[in-house]
Amino acid sequence: MIRMKFLLAFIAALAVGPLLLPEFYVTLLNYIGLYAIVALGLVLLTGVGGLTSFGQAAFVGLGAYTTAYLTTVHGVSPWLTLLAGLAITAAVALFLGSITLRMGGHYLPLGTIAWGISLYFLFGNVDFLGGHTGITGVPALSLFGFELKSGREFYYLIWAVLLVIVLATRNLLDSREGRAIRALKGGTLMAEAMGVNTPRSKIVIFTVAALYACLSGWLYAHLQRFVNPTPFAIAQGIEYLFMAVIGGVAHVWGAILGAGLITILKQWLQDWLPRVFGQSGNFEVIVFGLLMIFVLHRAREGLWPIVLRLFPAQNARPRVADAEPLPRRSLPERGSVVLEVRDATKRFGGLVANNAMNLSVRAGEVMALIGPNGAGKSTMFNGISGVDPVTSGAVSFRGERIETLAARDIARRGMSRTFQHVRLLPTMSVLENVAIGAHLRGQRNFVHAALRTERVEEARLLHEAALQIERCGLAEHMYDAAGNLPLGKQRIVEIARALAADPCLLLLDEPAAGLRYLEKQALGDLLRRLRDDGMAILLVEHDMDFVMGLADRVVVMEFGEKLAEGLPEEVQRNPAVLEAYLGGVE
Amino acid sequence: MPKPFRRTLVAALISAVAATAASTALADINIGVSVSATGPAASLGIPEKNTFALLPQTVAGQKVNYIVLDDATDPTAATKNIKKLISENKVDLVVGSTTTPNSLAMMDVAAENETPMISLAGSAIVVEPMDAKRYWVFKTAQNDAHMATAIVEYMTSHNLQSIAFIGFADAYGEGWYKEFAKIAEARKIRIVASERYQRNDTSVTGQILKMIAAKPDAVLIGAAGTPAVLPQKSLKEKGYKGVIFQTHGVANADFLRVGGKDVEGALLPVGPMMVAAQLPDSYPNKKVALDYVSKYETAHGKGSVSAFGGHAWDAGLLINHAIPQALKKAQPGSKEFRKALRDAIETTQNLPAAHGVFNLSAQDHQGFDQRARVMAKIEGGSWKLVK
Amino acid sequence: MDLQIALLLGQDGITNGAIYALLALALVLVFAVTRVIFIPQGEFVAYGALTLASLQAGKLPGTLWLLLGLGAAVALVEIALALRTRQMRRIPSILLLNCGIPLLLGGILFAIPPATLPLAVQVVLALMLVVPLGPMVYRLAFQPIAEASVLVLLIVSIAVHVTLIGLGLLFFGAEGSRTPAFTDMSFEIGDALLQGQTVLVVVASAVLIVALYFFFERTIYGKALRATAMNRTGARLMGISATMAGKLSFTLATLIGAFSGVLISPITTIYYDSGFLIGLKGFVGAIVGGLASYPVAAAGAVLVGLLEAYSSFWASAYKEVIVFTMIIPVLLWRSLTTRHVEEEE
Repeated sequence: MIRMKFLLAFIAALAVGPLLLPEFYVTLLNYIGLYAIVALGLVLLTGVGGLTSFGQAAFVGLGAYTTAYLTTVHGVSPWLTLLAGLAITAAVALFLGSITLRMGGHYLPLGTIAWGISLYFLFGNVDFLGGHTGITGVPALSLFGFELKSGREFYYLIWAVLLVIVLATRNLLDSREGRAIRALKGGTLMAEAMGVNTPRSKIVIFTVAALYACLSGWLYAHLQRFVNPTPFAIAQGIEYLFMAVIGGVAHVWGAILGAGLITILKQWLQDWLPRVFGQSGNFEVIVFGLLMIFVLHRAREGLWPIVLRLFPAQNARPRVADAEPLPRRSLPERGSVVLEVRDATKRFGGLVANNAMNLSVRAGEVMALIGPNGAGKSTMFNGISGVDPVTSGAVSFRGERIETLAARDIARRGMSRTFQHVRLLPTMSVLENVAIGAHLRGQRNFVHAALRTERVEEARLLHEAALQIERCGLAEHMYDAAGNLPLGKQRIVEIARALAADPCLLLLDEPAAGLRYLEKQALGDLLRRLRDDGMAILLVEHDMDFVMGLADRVVVMEFGEKLAEGLPEEVQRNPAVLEAYLGGVE
Repeated sequence: MPKPFRRTLVAALISAVAATAASTALADINIGVSVSATGPAASLGIPEKNTFALLPQTVAGQKVNYIVLDDATDPTAATKNIKKLISENKVDLVVGSTTTPNSLAMMDVAAENETPMISLAGSAIVVEPMDAKRYWVFKTAQNDAHMATAIVEYMTSHNLQSIAFIGFADAYGEGWYKEFAKIAEARKIRIVASERYQRNDTSVTGQILKMIAAKPDAVLIGAAGTPAVLPQKSLKEKGYKGVIFQTHGVANADFLRVGGKDVEGALLPVGPMMVAAQLPDSYPNKKVALDYVSKYETAHGKGSVSAFGGHAWDAGLLINHAIPQALKKAQPGSKEFRKALRDAIETTQNLPAAHGVFNLSAQDHQGFDQRARVMAKIEGGSWKLVK
Repeated sequence: MDLQIALLLGQDGITNGAIYALLALALVLVFAVTRVIFIPQGEFVAYGALTLASLQAGKLPGTLWLLLGLGAAVALVEIALALRTRQMRRIPSILLLNCGIPLLLGGILFAIPPATLPLAVQVVLALMLVVPLGPMVYRLAFQPIAEASVLVLLIVSIAVHVTLIGLGLLFFGAEGSRTPAFTDMSFEIGDALLQGQTVLVVVASAVLIVALYFFFERTIYGKALRATAMNRTGARLMGISATMAGKLSFTLATLIGAFSGVLISPITTIYYDSGFLIGLKGFVGAIVGGLASYPVAAAGAVLVGLLEAYSSFWASAYKEVIVFTMIIPVLLWRSLTTRHVEEEE
């Protein structure tokens, strides 16, 4: 509750601030607000999505120049120019995003550096945009016939916009789309396997961040009433990133903290550093640079978590509300073939990891895939689930060929999986992690999320996640951070997440590793119940007792090929299998 | 982690409070200054900044405080500065800034707060066309048009009929080109090429080749400070034999240091101050100019003076000239005083200054005439008056 | 445009392209070995040139203070580490390497007025002042977070760049400097002169590239770097220390950067902030090569130089726009041809 009170006090202080503060402080607060809007976009992009951009200043420039040009030359209403600016920015962001986001994470920042530089020079050289001298006489904004001429009046607009955006961003993050975005940071592999269209999520946050910047630029132009290219140069783009990182790049309030801190620090350093060095220069960048290095070494989360520690969190736990259960998929008829792999071969360069593998799984059975380390079991899993498609051969799922489909499209068809190396988001709660599994069972997008019109669906998704957690026996850990659980339990969370997708085929990669005896028993019971409900389960496991007690059929792999197939007891007696496992009897 | 940070924050707050508390005592006249002492226009802004320390501290029995801030050649910072100067320091007048965009950005704030402002920037658009905002704005630097006319006159009198232009891709180069093109057109001088380059470009070969291919009688380099060396050097290397004009933006010692023998022979229009010692004694502002040069060089070393410091000095002269009249009408720190100061500056007549003689009027807030520039030539590593 | 102009532009483009190529190679090297996108590379170009200019002007270059400061900081960090791990024997060598050598250099500069020395000695002194900054920066800024993601390393890299720019302004001031040419030779091509220095830049770059090739192919350190670039974990298992490889790659990159600065400072005026754009143009070249292929990166960099030269002829105001927009079709092409492979964090 302390936090809530503090927030209310903060908003109250914001409301009365301009009435009490001298003009200059209001000016500073205006700029802090403008910068924070941009930094907030970077929080979404960098802190949440694990991407980054040095070109945000150029998007600010797009917003500022669009309105400056249209209002001064064509006399268009500023409110219309805002829409025009947002449209242009969205188009540019979509284009840039679509060509850089398909590649490794560092191409986007490099692309944005280049684009930031080009746009800066373009602003300066285009005659109709006033060249380097700029555009003067940008009109003041008027709201309901009231002109916002002074900094004090404008202050309320800027901070109202900022608070609305903070709220919208928080809403967005606390939703189905938000979880998908947060899942990006853990690598795209897991998110894709849960059905998240990761390129789309990346482009969405890049575009949203660009739109925030554009909005800030629009406000800037009408506050300053003058634009020229200087404030949109790459150096400012770098400063925006500094604000986000120092404030706390994973927290929406960090953006405001960072923007405030850097702005005030800059003002202060500009007064003091020249006295220290005995000459004038933009020496504050030296301090900022060192501060950045220090923060990234010692407190990568930035300063906001440190502030938070001063205000301990309330203990009241959120409750998952009861909600109407989600509709369930109709399972295929028991005994029918769900998965059929024919002559699947996977090559990595010259290495053949899977060679002409054949196997099938039926509804209502547990099929175990066993074999020594390096036999190609996980490769087979990746081939089936589309994470790393097979080189040749056919994979059919419920009668449909899927070997060329993307992982997320396979997931949509009712296949879900866990990973050998646990892929949870350690700072998110178990509940949220499991809810990612239910991603495909919701439809509401990020606009609904920002506006909170998806609460009914959200409650149903969380309710479903909670059900699966209880089913897997982890109810007591529902609100714990997933990273704080022992590894064995994290594997169970992975299973719960896979179940939240309501699959008809479950792929489990070493689910029992790291479990204690009783936990293994519980897991076995769970899998048996699932089988009895008609689910098809394919599992890779090393623990022979566990496998033999559970599996209906077993496929043994060695050197990428099938060595044997049959009932557990048959396989156990197979001499070839014995030789593979025990090194043979001479 | 948190401790040093907290300390910094506390220190920041304390200094902020101290700054407010230390707001100067009444009755003093406070002049706010925002110049571009860093960033791309630093070589212009630094001598301006240095000059304010040389201005008299007391005028007509009143103490005058100059509060000098740096705007890093950034209009956002310039706006912040003028807001700070007006609201925190309660200044009676603002001087600044060095560049045209920064001055344009500050103009709105000055007019809104009815505070007179003296810009040091080159482009005439700072004071023209006269309107409600520019009512409060004056400017001491010769309009780029003044300077461009000098070059055009030189060209017509020496029968040079075509010229190629290369300038900074920034407000300075742009302003020069616009003004020069207007005047050149009127005098039937053909501009056969117009090129741009960046301050820190490593090569301008492409531009130079294009200019030479157009076979101009003369070349004008619209750049300031040491970066103006590169085009002239490249022109020589590529065998250009015509006349080379530089602008008054290069008139500083660093330009000569970096340029060396590569810039010998360049012609440039400058304020008479740069060649004051060579002027005939009858020249109206020779004495004032020499006075400034000797003051500046005493403080900063021989040869250190540049044209831009002179603009700041001239702003000081305008202010000092206006203060006694304004004091008769109102107390410093009041709205009336600011208005009186503005009115007094606007009626300045026959005031010799470092760069010329001020004759201001309601329509002309710059106030120089053709006596405010002469042609100089670089010879033997120094500026020589061309008679 | 006639043939002569086309040739002259080509020559100008190749001169600049040669420098960009050198930088592109260094960037690819550093990225391959450490995953750091080495934005501050450009600052070392400026530092190299301006340090030489300071020496020639008889001034004490500010980089000396930086060297002493960074050296002391590295020594402190290393000694603290040595104390914690009880390896007292390492302390004298730490002190000698990080404090002793810089102090010795400073002593030399104080004792002998550097302006009187022959040019070659001045160049060596300038390199000795600038090059050790590279590994020191690696030790302080990158080594403690060597395992962080590419993104974090990139942000740190930008932070280092910004810091070095600020220090550059402090050390060298806002105005630029130029150094005298290594050679006054010049050749007449038609009406125009071809400066010997320009030829020297291209030749020196080519020699350096060949030398790098031999370094990687024939020396044990070169092979160690290549091994690390191919497979970090594997290289570590083979006893190649990632720290050593990181420092070595930074040393090489700084050497290439500073040397490039020394090479071009007679042709053009160098400012404290010149390096950023020069470095970025090397980058555009490196990106053409996908930050992986040395020959393609070098070719890309030369292409950037040529593009720059010809666009400065046709549309000088839009030169930077053209050069930096070139990255967009390159990225488009790469995104269509490369299949994205998941990076393991």
